[in-house]
Amino acid sequence: MNIYIIGAATTKFGELWGVSPRRLAHQAVTDALSDAEMKPSGIEALFVGNMLSGMLGGQEHLGAFFAEELGLSVPAFKIEGACASGGLALHNAVNSVLSGQYRTVAVLGVEKMTDHKPEDVAAALMGAGSEGERLSGATFPGLYALIARVHMATYGTTEKELASVAVKNHYHASLNPNAQFHAPVTIEQVLKSPCVADPLKLLDCSPISDGAAAVIITSDPSASLRAGKKAVEIIASVAATDSLGLAQRVSLTKLQATETAGKNAYQKAGIEPKDIDVAEVHDCFSIAEILAMEDLGFYKKGNAASVVSRGETTLGIARRLVVNPSGGLKGCGHPVGATGVKQVVELVDQLLGRSGKRQVDGAKIGLAHNVGGSGATATVHILKI
Amino acid sequence: MLGKTGVIRSWTVIRLPPADFGYQAPYPVVIVSLDGGESIVAQLVDFDEKHLSIGQRVVTVVRRTVQTGIDDVIPYGIKVKPL
Repeated sequence: MNIYIIGAATTKFGELWGVSPRRLAHQAVTDALSDAEMKPSGIEALFVGNMLSGMLGGQEHLGAFFAEELGLSVPAFKIEGACASGGLALHNAVNSVLSGQYRTVAVLGVEKMTDHKPEDVAAALMGAGSEGERLSGATFPGLYALIARVHMATYGTTEKELASVAVKNHYHASLNPNAQFHAPVTIEQVLKSPCVADPLKLLDCSPISDGAAAVIITSDPSASLRAGKKAVEIIASVAATDSLGLAQRVSLTKLQATETAGKNAYQKAGIEPKDIDVAEVHDCFSIAEILAMEDLGFYKKGNAASVVSRGETTLGIARRLVVNPSGGLKGCGHPVGATGVKQVVELVDQLLGRSGKRQVDGAKIGLAHNVGGSGATATVHILKI
Repeated sequence: MLGKTGVIRSWTVIRLPPADFGYQAPYPVVIVSLDGGESIVAQLVDFDEKHLSIGQRVVTVVRRTVQTGIDDVIPYGIKVKPL
């Protein structure tokens, strides 16, 4: 059975103080339905990716909450996998369609973070870590800093090379009207920004954001062509897990869940890393994009940092793979439950050739990589046109 | 868990702490490989700058953990200090 994405949309990402989660969700799903040229009545089930609504907003039961908002009386589910909630929601939606239970379903990723104090958001995000990590006072920048330190000691990765990830992704975000940040940054600005958790500085870190994204998927081949567009097909949908805490990992220089999900996804899709034209990877911190480049098999372990710093994955410079044309989590913003779905929306736009100034010419195969926690969950989706 | 020795696998300094840790910041957090084979994440206490180093030997100690209200039980947990 083939699974197609027939509608895809994202709201603007950013500090959206005047917009409620209901309105964000409504806009994303309504726009995705309009993209698919279909009515809400065609949706047979709703999958919601979200992490923090309970801890920050006191609202759980999000399946029914958003089904009500959208006027849908259909089975509805909240899927939580920390910052991989969006990717995991899509994976569950794909499985439900593959099972034959539903033909056409909506996937919504949504998060509202900026209404809360940063220290409360930092504490809530630590719900994704282990108890030992919470008791030590670690934060997510801190956990990725622990990884960065070992990567630097082992492979000679430099702070300047890490900064080049932020420079690239801010540049891409400057071309994306829906991105949180539109101002490019320089290596010097990143290196001089305040230290958050040594060696990671403020501009190595993705921001706290609000936003929503939605896709409509179906197994109905006629629906896939109804909108008069070419059909974007999901040729692999894979999830993997690893130990919740960092300390339990054998290696601190890779995310095993990413490597496992990537290998399984390439196998399912019958392709190799070199076949990918465009990738949206989980750059919650600059070091995370370096890890993703290596763990997804695009570059040898220890080589990705110099590749990124030479601009080889930057729009307009890259000869093959372009990474995070949306601006990534760093530039586009990181409303945690929405991110995994937004990555897929970006790939759909790229494959359909409707990405405007940030279009990757001739992109045919795209990969989305979404991570939860410090790598305890990873999802990989491969899309083809 | 007390008096166990081990070696620092990685370290960072938390400068933007989560709620309830504000009064301690900035503070180092380290991953330690204990000599028994277990691995833990913990705060490093009673340290100098020179101890912030991969390979530094440490020992587990008991310390107060987070800030609590005047009527709350004082929470204690495991931290490590340099050897």
